[in-house]
Order: sequence, then structure tokens, then C-alpha cells
Amino acid sequence: MSEFMKKQSVGAYFNVIAAILGIVGIIAACVCSSMTVTYALGNLGIIIVQGVLGIVLACAAVVLPNIFGNHDICSTIAVCVSIAMFTAAFGQVLSERILLIAGLFSYDSVNTVGWQVFYVTVVSIAAFIIGALLMIIGAFTRSVKER
Amino acid sequence: MKKTGIFRGLAALMSFLLSISVIVGNTLESFSTTIDTALGTQSEMMVTDDKDAVYDRFTPPAELLNEDGTGNSHALIQAAMDLNREQAAEGTVLLKNNGVLPLASGANVTLFGIRSQVPILGSSFGVKAFGGFINLDEALQNNVTDFAHHITTSLSQNWATGQIERGYTTGDWSGDEFEFDGAGYKVNPTMTSIYTKLNETYLHTENAGPSEEYDPGEPSVKEIEGVNADFRNSFAQYGDASIVVIGRPSAESEDYLPGGIVAGLGAEEPIALTTNEKDAIALAKECSDKVIILVNSASAVEIGELKNDPEIDAILWIGAPGSYGLLGVADILCGKVSPSGGLADIFPTYNMSAPAMQNMGNFSYKNAADVITRENSSNYIIEAEGIYVGYRYYETRYYDAVLGQGNATGTAGTYASGSGWDYDAEVAYGFGYGLSYTAFDMEFEGEPVFNVSKKDDVTTATATFNVKVTNTGNVPGKKSVQIYGQAPYERGGIEKSAIVLLNYGKTGLLQPGESEVVSVDVDLQYIATYDSSYDNGDGTYGSYIVDPGTYYFAFGNGAHDALNNIIASQGVAVENLVGEANADYAFKTEITEDTLSRTAFAYSKTGTKISNQLDYADWNHFQEGEVTYLSRADWNGTYPKTYSDMTLTSQEMIDYLNGKYYTIATDDDTSGIEWGKKSDLMFYEMAGLDFDDEKWDELLSEMTLEEAQYLATFGGPSIPGAESIGTVETYMTENAGNGIAVNLNASKDTEAPWNISPEDPNGNWHPEVFGSSPLTAASFNPDLAKKLGEFIGIESLFTGIPILWGPGLNTHRHAYNGRNGEYYSEDPILSGYTAMEFAIGALEYGLIAAPKHYAFNDQETNRAGVAPFMTEQRAREVELRAYQIAFEATKYDTEDNDAGMRGLMISFSKIGPVECTVSTGLMTEILKNEWGFKGYAVTDIYDDFDLYGSVLTSGTTCYDTRGMSGFYADTTLTSPRFANQADGSAISAAVFAGDANAQQAVKESAHNVLYAIASSNLMNRYNETTHVVKLNTWWRTAYHSAIAVTGILTAVFAILFVLSKRKEKEA
Repeated sequence: MSEFMKKQSVGAYFNVIAAILGIVGIIAACVCSSMTVTYALGNLGIIIVQGVLGIVLACAAVVLPNIFGNHDICSTIAVCVSIAMFTAAFGQVLSERILLIAGLFSYDSVNTVGWQVFYVTVVSIAAFIIGALLMIIGAFTRSVKER
Repeated sequence: MKKTGIFRGLAALMSFLLSISVIVGNTLESFSTTIDTALGTQSEMMVTDDKDAVYDRFTPPAELLNEDGTGNSHALIQAAMDLNREQAAEGTVLLKNNGVLPLASGANVTLFGIRSQVPILGSSFGVKAFGGFINLDEALQNNVTDFAHHITTSLSQNWATGQIERGYTTGDWSGDEFEFDGAGYKVNPTMTSIYTKLNETYLHTENAGPSEEYDPGEPSVKEIEGVNADFRNSFAQYGDASIVVIGRPSAESEDYLPGGIVAGLGAEEPIALTTNEKDAIALAKECSDKVIILVNSASAVEIGELKNDPEIDAILWIGAPGSYGLLGVADILCGKVSPSGGLADIFPTYNMSAPAMQNMGNFSYKNAADVITRENSSNYIIEAEGIYVGYRYYETRYYDAVLGQGNATGTAGTYASGSGWDYDAEVAYGFGYGLSYTAFDMEFEGEPVFNVSKKDDVTTATATFNVKVTNTGNVPGKKSVQIYGQAPYERGGIEKSAIVLLNYGKTGLLQPGESEVVSVDVDLQYIATYDSSYDNGDGTYGSYIVDPGTYYFAFGNGAHDALNNIIASQGVAVENLVGEANADYAFKTEITEDTLSRTAFAYSKTGTKISNQLDYADWNHFQEGEVTYLSRADWNGTYPKTYSDMTLTSQEMIDYLNGKYYTIATDDDTSGIEWGKKSDLMFYEMAGLDFDDEKWDELLSEMTLEEAQYLATFGGPSIPGAESIGTVETYMTENAGNGIAVNLNASKDTEAPWNISPEDPNGNWHPEVFGSSPLTAASFNPDLAKKLGEFIGIESLFTGIPILWGPGLNTHRHAYNGRNGEYYSEDPILSGYTAMEFAIGALEYGLIAAPKHYAFNDQETNRAGVAPFMTEQRAREVELRAYQIAFEATKYDTEDNDAGMRGLMISFSKIGPVECTVSTGLMTEILKNEWGFKGYAVTDIYDDFDLYGSVLTSGTTCYDTRGMSGFYADTTLTSPRFANQADGSAISAAVFAGDANAQQAVKESAHNVLYAIASSNLMNRYNETTHVVKLNTWWRTAYHSAIAVTGILTAVFAILFVLSKRKEKEA
């Protein structure tokens, strides 16, 4: 294990952090969905599937370069699809919450429960987006140290 | 970095941007109608290929068109200015005048109070006054507008910083300026510049809102001195008169709260005068010996001490006058127009003395956390004041105090009285009260004419009062004729107000010496009493009762004056009264079972037997004896306490609060309900047909169940199209009661021959310019209300909006409702008739006026689901009566036409523990069966998505799913928006497959919605060639381009990456 860790480079760490953020995004989505019945996310299942796929592919993007070397085609596909999954999950959360957000910033600004839901939603959205951005940065860098 | 890594990273970046572009595109398309309104774009357009026989049903007046038939924007704006000026002049109420008014032209005046420079012209959010406006300075001394530099401002929260910022309601104005004749004064520029400077930090706007901890933001004398220490030097030159403006705003979603004022301001309540405001008045006195106060508010500001201050010479209530309304105020000040308005709400000395104020604000059930599972169901208010809302409380208690009955002079509810309750101390100015610059003699012209007739079960009973009004003063003026009534009351009997407004009329402009006889028709149903305990003998309870006995009718300068006239006619010595009285102004009549049966109004005008429909409105229905409603049998003993800690013990009530109303059936026989029938009948052929025309059955049978369900599900600004009957998705509705919320150059009907082109210099004129609703009500002028409706109907033709979310028709339960500016009055008769006239006027141009919020939206605090508890008598005689009058519109009924409003918006609130949207009693039994409502009944925005089956079977015709409509497009019935049903059901196109009641309900809803549209100006555009085309807006082009570019770049970098990788390997 320590040998494996020693081998990893910047890109792998970015991908690992992205995978962790994916988990945070999913958990935050689940939390904000379960805070009240009214604001349950009707598409939570899709969000979880997209998030999990993104996490799995981010992990794959860590593992595959250890087998095929840096910037291999398989890990590149994994990175790109993982980014797309995280972004799609972000889009799903946003589309479900856009009415709430529009209301909070206009006619429904006194909706205290809505604001609580909104803040957790922001965590979810931010986690997915930052995760995707980290993977983009990681894609420019090496995942494993080259001898 | 190696090329491979760069290409790999860029491919990843592009895949991210591609994903974002797709998401943004999907989101924009899903909310395209809302995006269009916000950005002023047009993403789709209704097109009629065959131009014959279109645009001939409703057309704007010729004087608003150019020679080529296109709209004349200059003429339209000028007409709006003229009408807003008239509205303000007629609605302004002169409360006090020791002779200083009118103030002659040429006077040099000084304005005080920061609101003199930033007047409240409209409500905040909802019915703002938009665009270029005329400030008080300008109205008083100028003669041409300066819209380019005077555009109304509004506050909003910066989402990024959280800071409140001020912005303009519309963009730059480069259109026409307009000449006007102002008051001809000269205004002290020193004070003007000081307040302008101070407003840079005070953040006042023309559309400010109240708040839970309010600060009127009046600068101190020290702050004024800080800008210009020598400001007093200007007083000598501009000391002919001081005009002080005191403002209190109104707004959607915000209330004033009891004690809700920032500490240290010198006032204990938010609508009381603060130290700085009093200091501004003191400065005014320093400046001049003529001090005039302008009360710039929709709420009753506590001005009792100004009334009694001999150094205050005149007080004018000006409401929120709209973008050009200060011209009307200037007309009053300089005497071009004599004031003729009357207060639409009573002005108590202290607002807290109103019994309704004891139960206003934020209340949650003590055990909510344990028993409530549904969102927005934990808050309540107990409306323990019963029927005694507004003047009905003060005047009835006054009457009982004079007669020495009902413990009326007890101390409960005393706020200004020295010892026992004293009307003179508790009330500053009464409902309907207003002075004039001239004097009028009024007398009954003969005896009133009673007319009672019966057809089948329906009794129609009216009384026509002819009142001769003579102008005995020296200047021309108008006079309102307000007819009030009193029904006989026995202690311990059903609650009755000692005085109620029954109807009103207004003279034309009477020259000195001129007379006019004003006929006012009174529907005697409105003096009947709702007795919820009356046994109908058929297993039901509740009916309107006409108690036999002596009835009194009177006219007067407001409710108090009329009541005094009645008391005088009852033989009470005038010296025992507060104010003047004249027995000749009252009329007495005996009503017996023979003249008008006790149960004459047991059937509504539609022939429906009346019975209780809102038992659940009363807390005591569930948990008996826990609430004591105010009773005139014992004012002192029943004056409301504050019910701040109610505990839910009734399982039935808890179930209602948790949304358990209706269970969707799965195995009904639905074979008798026809869907998908083949026919050539198309919607455009239904224009103008009666609701009961048999063609509707045929048309509705053509629709599929899914189509009908879509129509009921995706309402709001747009309606989805239904292929089977040839309707197309159409943008239909917009705010608000003070104009149409669409810029001239953003019309939804650009095909109209009168369309004003986007290049028109006045294209960005926004038609929401009129004064707030109380101002219209205060005019007591039905003709003015109708003219406003007509004009906004004309606006709707220029903007392509067939349904208006307005006017507001809730009751001013108290002065602290932040949204009072959007509703007419505390009195349902005044509100109802004003709304009716407005709606009839609007419909002349094909605009469906849909009042809101039906019903019981009595406060903004917790409005998303608050449960107001009250008696059914109160519900029917106060809140619902306003809607009843507007919907029945019997004044305009003919043999061939059942007139009335064709739309409404339902309240967010509940009635008792039941959501208004799911209350069959409210939505079907009362609204449709009793009152005969036919039309569009939409939920408030995104309300009660979790009660799909209950909402669509109650009589509600459609949801407001703003921005989400679209048939066979982006939306589906399995939308996540409806995924969380309180009853656990799964919403889909098949959800009602086994529920005959629900199928019939959505068919009936389709009937109502389509009927409303068929009587609107949307039919201007419909024939068999009508279809929708998508247009390339800039945002659509932008996201299409973004998808294309990022897609290509993703592919390019992916290829480059692969090639680079291959090269790497080869190397």
C-alpha cells in the first residue's frame, strides 16, 4: 500500500479529492432531500447514480495510470466521463432546486426552512462542481511518478 | 508539461464546459417563459397564417393608434399619466383643514421629510410603481417630466454579497418627455438637496418595504445640519407653507409586527411617528405658520396627535399614488381639484387597539414538532375578533357605549382612553371620512324604493336610495354618497355590526349651486346575517338570516357620521354623541316576515341552498371551547386575548394539517367519461360561447385525459397546448393590479396590428404605473375603478396578456399587514364593488382580471401555509363577501350575460387547518355553486405540489407551475416537482385512470380554463391556422453555440490527445 502511495503523483491526489467531494455531494444531496418532505429531491436516485458513477470513474482514474502509465486513454476517458457525471449531478440538483432558489431570492425570502435546505443544497452543488474542477486540473498533471 | 498532458487536460476541460452548456440549455428551455419575461426576449411566438378574421374582437381605442393602425406609445403614456393623476386626485383624502388649503399657486414652499424626495409610489415587490416618475418637487413647481433622470428605484439583495442594494426598476429612459401643468409653487431647493444627499446613505426607494423590525429611516436634525448647517436660512424665502411627508411602505411577503420597531427611535410601534419624524414636523413649524402633512402610506399611520395639534393646519392622506399620481396630489394642494376621497380604513389613535392586533404575527402550535409532518403547516392565527374587523369594531363598540350596553365602556382594549373605553380617544379618523374645499347639502329625495321579488327559490331584494346632493360652497367638487345600514340586534343573539357600508355612488363634478340626485342600489343580502347554527331542516346547518325588526339606513361622511345619524333617529340626544348627527339623514323601516322572509336569502342567486361549508375554519369545531370570539354581548369580557400557545389534540385537525384530504381511487368505473373522441371542432370556434353551450361537451370530449391533466397541472403564466383541440402553448398571465408587468417592447403578441415595435423610443415603458389599491377604493367612485380596469385592459392588448393576476382582494384585517397596499380596504363592500368595476372594465378589452388571494391571506407572516381560524360568519360576512360581490357582479347581469370575474388566484394560506387550494367548500360549494363562478382558478406560485389529487378535485382549475409549462416538450406529469405526495401517490398520466371523480374534476377544470380564455383577448389571435414557432433569442443562440463549440473542441482535443499519445509511444 505504501509502495502504491509513494507512486502517486499530483493528478492522483486531485482525483482522490474529487472522489471524496463526490461523496460529500451525494451525502449533502441526501441530507437536503430528507430535511423536509416538501423539499425532497424527486430525482435523488438519478443524482446518486450519477454521483456514484463519477466517484467510481474518479477512482478508476487513480488506479488505471498505475497499470497503463500516465495519460493513458482509459484513464482519460474515465476522467472525462467522471467530470460529465459530476456536472450532470450538479445539473440535476440545480434543476430541482431552481424554483426554491428563485423564490428565496424574490417572493419567498422569509422561508427559513427553504434557506436551510438551500444552504445544504449549496454544499452539494459546490462539492460536485469543485470535484469536477479538481479533476480538470488533475487531467493536466501526472497521476503517477515517472522513473 | 508534455503536449499529451495539455491535450488531455483541455479535453477534460471541454467535456466539463460541454456538460455545463447542455445543463444551462436544458434549464433555460425548461423555464423559457420566465426567462423571456425577465430578459425581455421572445423565445416562441404564436403565429396565425391566415390573417383574415383575427384581431377584430378586441381592439384598442382609435385615439391610441397611429394612422397606420400601429400603437401610439406617446398617446398611451399620456393617457396613463392623465388617469393616474385623476386616480390620485379622487382618492386623496383631506382629513384636516383649518383653511390653509388650497394653497394658491405662486407660493414658496419647503418640503420636509425624506419621503418628500423619495415618496412611496407603489408597493415593494408585486405591485411596484415602475419607470420614469414625477416627483413631488416636479409636480409642485415644474411643467415637464424628467423621466430620463427620475426612474423609480427598488431594493434587492445581492446574491453574492448578501448586501441590500438599490437599483432602477427599468433601464435608462431615452423616450419622450411630457408637458404638464403643475401646482405653480416654488420649492425650497436647499431642503431638496439635503434630503437627496441623505438618501445616498439611507437607501430609501420609491418601492421600499416594511420589515419585522422597522425603521422609517427619517434623518435627524443633526444629520440635516451635517449636510448643510445653514439650512434654516432658506426658510424665510420659502416660508409660505411647509409640507411634511410621512411615509410607511407596504410590500409582499413582509409585515409590520407588534412592537416591531428598531429601538431608540422614540416610538413603540412601527406605524407610530418617531422622534425624527416629529422633529421634521417641528422644523416645518419653524419654517412656516402653515404646516401641511401628507400621509404617504397604505396603512393607517398613527396621526392622532397631529389631529389634535393646532399648529398642524392640514392633513392629507395620499396613499401610494403611483408613478404620476403626485400630479393629482398637487392638484389637490393648489385647489385645481377639490378633494372628494374618503378613508378606505379607519385610522385608530393606536393601531394596537384593534382586536385583530391581539392575534397577529408569528404563532406556532406548541406541539408542532411532535405531530406535524407536513411543511408549512405549523403556524396559525386565531382571528378571535370575529366579525369585528376595522370600523365594525370601533363603531359597534361606540354604539353600545352610547346606549350603555354590552360592557362597552369597560377597560379591555383601551389604549388611548383615560379610563373606560372612549371612542373619541381611541379613533383619530373614521372609515369613509373625508373633507372637501366646498360644502354640500345632502337629503333623501323621496323614500327609498324597496323591491323584493322571488323566482323559484331565489329572492332578490334591493333598496334604491336617491340622495340629492347640492354644492353649496364656492368651488366645484364631487361628493361620494355612502349608504350604510343597521340590522336589529338583541344581546346574546348572532353578532351584528352596528353599522355596515351597503353601497355607494358619487356625483359628477358639481359647480357651486348645482345639484345631482345620486341613486344607490343596495342589495339587502348584505345586511342579512350569517347564522352558522341555523337548522336548515335537511340535516344541514347555516344560512343567511334576515331578523324581523327595525332596520335603519343612513348616509353620512363615513361610517361614524352615518351611525350618528342613525343613533339620532333613534332618539338619542346629539350631545351624547362623538361628532355631529342629523336624524333626517337616516331612514327607518320595519322588516317583517311578510315584507322579507327571515330566510329570504337561504338560496344564493344561482339557486343553491346555503349551508355551512367551512365548519373547519373554527378552532372550536375541533377543540371545543378553547377560543372565545369577541362578542358585543360583553365587550369587556370577550375582548380577545393573545392565543400564542395552542396545542393540537384533535387527530382530525392534525390529519388535515398533514395533508390528508383525498384518496385517489383506483377502481372506479370511468367508462361514462368520454376522452379522445374524434371531432373537427376546434378551440378557436368557442370564442364568446356561453359556459353552458353544448359545444363545450363536444370539445372537452375530444381531449385526452392526459391533455386535460396537463392543462390542470401546468398553469400559471403559460398554458400548455392541447393538440386535439388546436390550442397552442401560450403565455397568458402577468401581474398586477396597477398595470401589466410587461414592457411595451416585450409584447407577447407581436403579430397584433397595434404592436409597438421594439425600436419605438418609448418601447421600454413599463405599464405598472398606477397608484395602490386603497387609493382607488378611497375615491368611492365606481366609474373611476371601471376606467382603471378599462385602461389596464387596453394595456393588455398592447402587451399581449389576456389574464391579469390582480387586483388584490383580501381584507385589511389590520394596519400591520405589509401587503395592505395591494388590497383595497378593510370593508368588503367597498373592496368588492371596486374590484367588480375594475374587472368589468378590463373584460371590455378582453382582459380577465383574476383577483388574489382567495382567500384569508390576512397577513404575510408565515403566509406559506399559515392557518387562520375564524367563525364561518366572519369568513362569509367579511373576507368572502368582497369576492362574492365581484364574482356575482349582479349589477352587470343581463338576460343574455352572466357577468362577473372570470379568474382568481388562490391563497397560499389555509382556512382553518385545510389548505384553501383543497377546500371543496371554498373552491366548489361557495365559489362555483353559490356564486356561479366560471373561469380560471389558479393556485399561487408552486403551492401545494404535494397535494395533487386533493387540489385537482377541489374545484381548483390549475396549478401555477410558473415557467414549467409545455406539452409534449420538456415537462412531464412524472416531473420531480410532483414526486413527493402527502398521500404517497405517484403522479403520472395514469394516476386518475381509476378515479371517476378526479377525471370529472379535470374535465371540469379544462372547461373552466378554456371558457375563461375563450372570453379573453387571446381569441383575437386564434383560428385554424394558429401555431407556435420557436424564435432564436440571444440566449438560445448562445447556448446552442456553446454546445457546438465545446462539443467540437472536446472532440478536437480528444483526437489531438490520442495522436499525441500515439506519437509518444512511437517515440
